[in-house]
Amino acid sequence: MRKMLASLVSHVFSGVNQKPAMRGLLASLNFSNDTTCDITKCDLYRLEEGPPTSTVLTREEALKYYRAMQVIRRMELKADQMYKQKFIRGFCHLCDGQEACSVGLEAGIRPSDHIITSYRAHGLCYTRGLPVRSILAELTGRRGGCAKGKGGSMHMYAKNFYGGNGIVGAQVPLGAGVAFACTYLGNTEICLTVYGDGAANQGQVAEAYNLSALWKLPCSLSSERIATTQWARLSREQQPNTDYHKRGNFIPGRKANGMDILCVREATKFAAHYCRSGKGPILLELQTYRYHGHSKSDPGISYRTREEVQSMRSKSDPIMLLQERRRNSNRSNVEEWKEIDADGKKEIEEAAQFATTDPEPALEELANYSCTTKKK
Amino acid sequence: MAAVASRTAGLLRLRAAGAERRWCGPRCAGLVQGFLPPGGEGAAQKRRVAHFTFQPDPESLQYGQTQKMNLFQSITSALDNSLAKDPTAVIFGEDVAFGGVFRCTVGLRDKYGKDRVFNTPLCEQGIVGFGIGIAVTGATAIAEIQFADYIFPAFDQIVNEAAKYRYRSGDLFNCGSLTIRAPWGCVGHGALYHSQSPEAFFAHCPGIKVVIPRSPFQAKGLLLSCIEDKNPCIFFEPKILYRAAVEQVPVEPYKIPLSQAEVIQEGSDVTLVAWGTQVHVIREVASMAREKLGVSCEIIDLRTIVPWDVDTVCKSVVKTGRLLISHEAPLTGGFASEISSTVQTYLGEYPRRHCTGTPCSEKRV
Repeated sequence: MRKMLASLVSHVFSGVNQKPAMRGLLASLNFSNDTTCDITKCDLYRLEEGPPTSTVLTREEALKYYRAMQVIRRMELKADQMYKQKFIRGFCHLCDGQEACSVGLEAGIRPSDHIITSYRAHGLCYTRGLPVRSILAELTGRRGGCAKGKGGSMHMYAKNFYGGNGIVGAQVPLGAGVAFACTYLGNTEICLTVYGDGAANQGQVAEAYNLSALWKLPCSLSSERIATTQWARLSREQQPNTDYHKRGNFIPGRKANGMDILCVREATKFAAHYCRSGKGPILLELQTYRYHGHSKSDPGISYRTREEVQSMRSKSDPIMLLQERRRNSNRSNVEEWKEIDADGKKEIEEAAQFATTDPEPALEELANYSCTTKKK
Repeated sequence: MAAVASRTAGLLRLRAAGAERRWCGPRCAGLVQGFLPPGGEGAAQKRRVAHFTFQPDPESLQYGQTQKMNLFQSITSALDNSLAKDPTAVIFGEDVAFGGVFRCTVGLRDKYGKDRVFNTPLCEQGIVGFGIGIAVTGATAIAEIQFADYIFPAFDQIVNEAAKYRYRSGDLFNCGSLTIRAPWGCVGHGALYHSQSPEAFFAHCPGIKVVIPRSPFQAKGLLLSCIEDKNPCIFFEPKILYRAAVEQVPVEPYKIPLSQAEVIQEGSDVTLVAWGTQVHVIREVASMAREKLGVSCEIIDLRTIVPWDVDTVCKSVVKTGRLLISHEAPLTGGFASEISSTVQTYLGEYPRRHCTGTPCSEKRV
């Protein structure tokens, strides 16, 4: 059974398991230090055309994306370490391996757009503007945490970022509501509503699809497909239709390679443009992978093999793929990467130091923020 | 525990003062002012872990050979007995096939087959609705909700479908062979969505039974009773006890009757009522009260929340004259209120206190 599942995963990711040359990545020499990159074509559903199959990656973008993904990767690994050291207790859902999704989604929208996601939110927290120290301090439950130490791993919020939601699938109708508010208030903002494989089976997600389509809400429903639902392996045992981009039935969708940041970016830009044009909701399925288990209590190999995880790391790692693009076009500057690595490492270490030394909230604040007496 | 001890002391002070007038205890956010640690800004905070020590009950020899089991093993044993005895019994829920996230169903799929122990998608409303459907045909459905905190999508199915099926069909149909199991209560690190005690929500609904065991021995007997009961039952399992509670449990099936509270310690000065994990906290409070205050506490484990054993609690309060109820769930609308007002209905005014989770009231922001 495991071999069959491993083979299924390999097949699914066969598009990215090949060497860069065989993927047909082209680099064109120009004087601007930019790279023109081919990206994998998206599978489309109910769409005449999809995102472009080639895009330009500027030097600044490459460095920015690299830095963001490296910081997220290091932050997650630091969180893993701090959990083992018992600085972080409770539940901790890591997203290392999925960096291209958070950074790519952010790259495809505007800061004034809105995002809501599940409990596996640390990456999006960072890309939405939360400093690493406030994320780690929230994980350790300190006053300096972004939710004042009261939310923990699953509940982090920022401007235009509505968390961080513990209950699987519950964020999807909320996302539809945020999208409704965008329309109602007459702005051109959209809401990216992000969820995972397991949430796709929640009834309320079907309800959100229906509402979004009925009222043509500017809601880009983005499913991060990692081929597992919590602990359970994605399989016919969980759902007969594993093509999430088609699950909206009457809602158009496309499936993109979630390990390639440029693919994610272009697919997101396409979705954002679609939503802003008043055509209603659109589904985006991102095929991605998480290296750790579902949470810290899941070893991560109950439903998959170590070999499968290792294979994904060595062939499809999103940070590696970005570096390869620049390397293949002779645009990479090793010194720049190293400088970013060092800078990122320093940022994480300082944040971890803060997160372990900042005091916990006072006991008197235990029941604060249940309700408010403020008047509007 | 400090809060409960303080409440007990408070009740005793009332006795000393000869108070007979109606008394309403202060509402408090589960913390007792006098017991807050000193300091404030910058004071070093001690990390607290488990707030009690599990005390196993004496081994019961009336059901044959026993084996050392923790709580999740006693649940597995009960499920094993059920599947062996009842060929229509099926177990389903999220991740139950490999053994469950709390190991309660380990080995059952290998032993009984994948058509009897199987995973569902992540859809609580669907899981319970599906379970009701199975039960309506007469088969035995044992549904697992992964955490009690996730039971709310299924609330409509439980309250509107399961609880009312027998009534609205004039007894033509029922889903009495449905049992819903869910890990329940605080675990030390669960926070908002892995710690809830939602028994009071379901207590407000006629047509279902809600049961909460305090130990492995109790859990197996009560779970077997729930599975065989002719009414849909919700069985909440204190997750903090899954590994922490270990005692001798009979290997063969046995049943502990529902709707019977148990007086686990006799006393004369005050009745302490609790269920689940809090029973062990109360036990320690009773020891503290005896040592420090010379107070004799009678401890009752309610076991079945609805329908609850009014007689046992009332008889105890008649004897002691005082009642303290303690639960993890929030104060407002918590089940302590139901017990308290019912006892008052039958016995009139008497000193009573609730020591529970936070009240639902306006607090400063």
